[in-house]
Amino acid sequence: MITLGLILKEIRHRKVNFLLSLLAVVTAAALLISFSAASKASERETARLMLSMGFNVHIVSKNINTNDFLLTGLADRTMPEEYIKKLASQQAISYNHLLASLQKKISWRGLEVILTGLASEVCSPDSKKSPISYQIEPGNLYVGYRIAQTLGLKDGDTVEIEGKTLKVAKCLAESGSADDIRIQCNLRDAQDILKLHGQISEILAVDCLCFAPTDNPADVLRKEIGSLLPQAQVFHTQTIASARAKTRQMVRNFFAVIMPLVVIACGVSVGVLAITNVRDRQQEIGIMRALGYGSGQITSLFLGKAVVIGLLGAAVGFLVGTALAMKFGPDIFKITAKAMIKPELSLLAMSLIFTPLFVAVSSFIPAMIAVTYDPAVTLREE
Amino acid sequence: MVVLENVEKTYHTRGSIVKALRDISLHIEKGRFIVLCGPSGSGKTTLLMIIAAMLRPTKGRVCVNQNDLYKMSIADRARFRAQNIGFIFQMFHLIPYLNVIENVTLAGGVAGRSRNTAQARDLLRQLGLEGRVFHKPAQLSAGEKQRVAIARAMFNRPKIILADEPTGNLDPENAASVIEHLSEFHRGGGTVILATHQLQAEKFADRVVYLRDGGIERHD
Repeated sequence: MITLGLILKEIRHRKVNFLLSLLAVVTAAALLISFSAASKASERETARLMLSMGFNVHIVSKNINTNDFLLTGLADRTMPEEYIKKLASQQAISYNHLLASLQKKISWRGLEVILTGLASEVCSPDSKKSPISYQIEPGNLYVGYRIAQTLGLKDGDTVEIEGKTLKVAKCLAESGSADDIRIQCNLRDAQDILKLHGQISEILAVDCLCFAPTDNPADVLRKEIGSLLPQAQVFHTQTIASARAKTRQMVRNFFAVIMPLVVIACGVSVGVLAITNVRDRQQEIGIMRALGYGSGQITSLFLGKAVVIGLLGAAVGFLVGTALAMKFGPDIFKITAKAMIKPELSLLAMSLIFTPLFVAVSSFIPAMIAVTYDPAVTLREE
Repeated sequence: MVVLENVEKTYHTRGSIVKALRDISLHIEKGRFIVLCGPSGSGKTTLLMIIAAMLRPTKGRVCVNQNDLYKMSIADRARFRAQNIGFIFQMFHLIPYLNVIENVTLAGGVAGRSRNTAQARDLLRQLGLEGRVFHKPAQLSAGEKQRVAIARAMFNRPKIILADEPTGNLDPENAASVIEHLSEFHRGGGTVILATHQLQAEKFADRVVYLRDGGIERHD
């Protein structure tokens, strides 16, 4: 009688043991599949949320007064607007979300304000990213909270700055930062107002979180950007960069801890159930020994059963795990879930390969115990 | 022929030493019906297990058909057992999830004869089980279970059948039937070694070996 036939008949005979083992494997596979699907969405979601902390790479002219820049955040020298095209044309780089801006402190209606002109955000050719900053249409103006309050401006008003007429598209909410005394417009409008055509004062960017643990991100960025723009210099805002890196690492660590725990719990459950199965089958093993069945054939009965449980558990676990992730993922990861959580055949393939292997490893010790049963002892027991 | 020379078996259990067999020497000619008789704990089952190549003696030599059993590898011993020895137990030890014919042909799994169901059916017919071929052990009476066990023991056409208290759980009618089937195997030229604490098989036996406290008390 072939081994598979014996395995299937034994499974039918001891349904409870089989169903409990299957349940343990399905639970583990489903959790791992759903965690795996959700972890991608989670990482992406975290990355997106962390981007809202703002740009953490500042590229300015080499000729600025560094002390003033660090003190005010404003570069007192400009650089050619083409610089951004040079940076954006690079592939395999450590920065992204490039945003050219022109900023200058001006007096407007008796107030000291920061005029900021923003271009559209650009990305490198090998990286399609959604913009993290808003785009201001030419002719529109975004007004900071304190300025709007002081001047009594509201959405839809028309204002004039240095002879250029702009429409107040939005009065921004209070931010508690320099943005409250900032007026923002399209880069072209700012260049017109400041009469600095083709000039920008700063390129903002976000680092890529792709650095090796031994790398100093600021050094890497300076090396990359310095070779492209010798007349520029780079400032890397460590607090933002560090917060982003730590948060993403924390998410990774969470899954790195949870997943092995699930695997260990499943392994122990399967192992315990396999030991119970072996103990139940002592006399059966003894009689097979007495009939001349060797260690390999006895082992194959138990490991074969483990593979059957593993294959079935992997398939069912994949379906359950994917369904769980798709059902609950969008409620948890509101931005990225719909795009990121979907059935992945690669996960099914991995599950079908590794789950039977894992269950077989968990059943290995019980199978070895089965092989060591002495038929002379077990066949005497009533 | 079965030859045992100065066979001893000692068990070490939790600090105590139990001598299950003491200096057993026995020559059993081919085609004989031997009864090993003795009270519980006299060493009958241990002796059968040793002859069946399932239990290594602490000391001594065991040869079956000129094969020194415990000089063989474990795999060779298993193969030898499958091809030469049939075993019948007091508790039947049928596999509960296999039906009658599957239990019988299970014995052929090692000898590569598991699919020879015609032979298995023939054996079951001879043992009066033709109507029970697809029944599970739980659906059989004790006597029927033991007859299935006999069919399983005979399936590989062994040269020797070892029977350990095969009638111990049977009523007198079924016990007589089992002894009759073993006797028939013996008449066909097979060797039977039967362990029992009762003496009902004595009339079929060529020889009765009395065991007591692990040693041979006397031969009749």
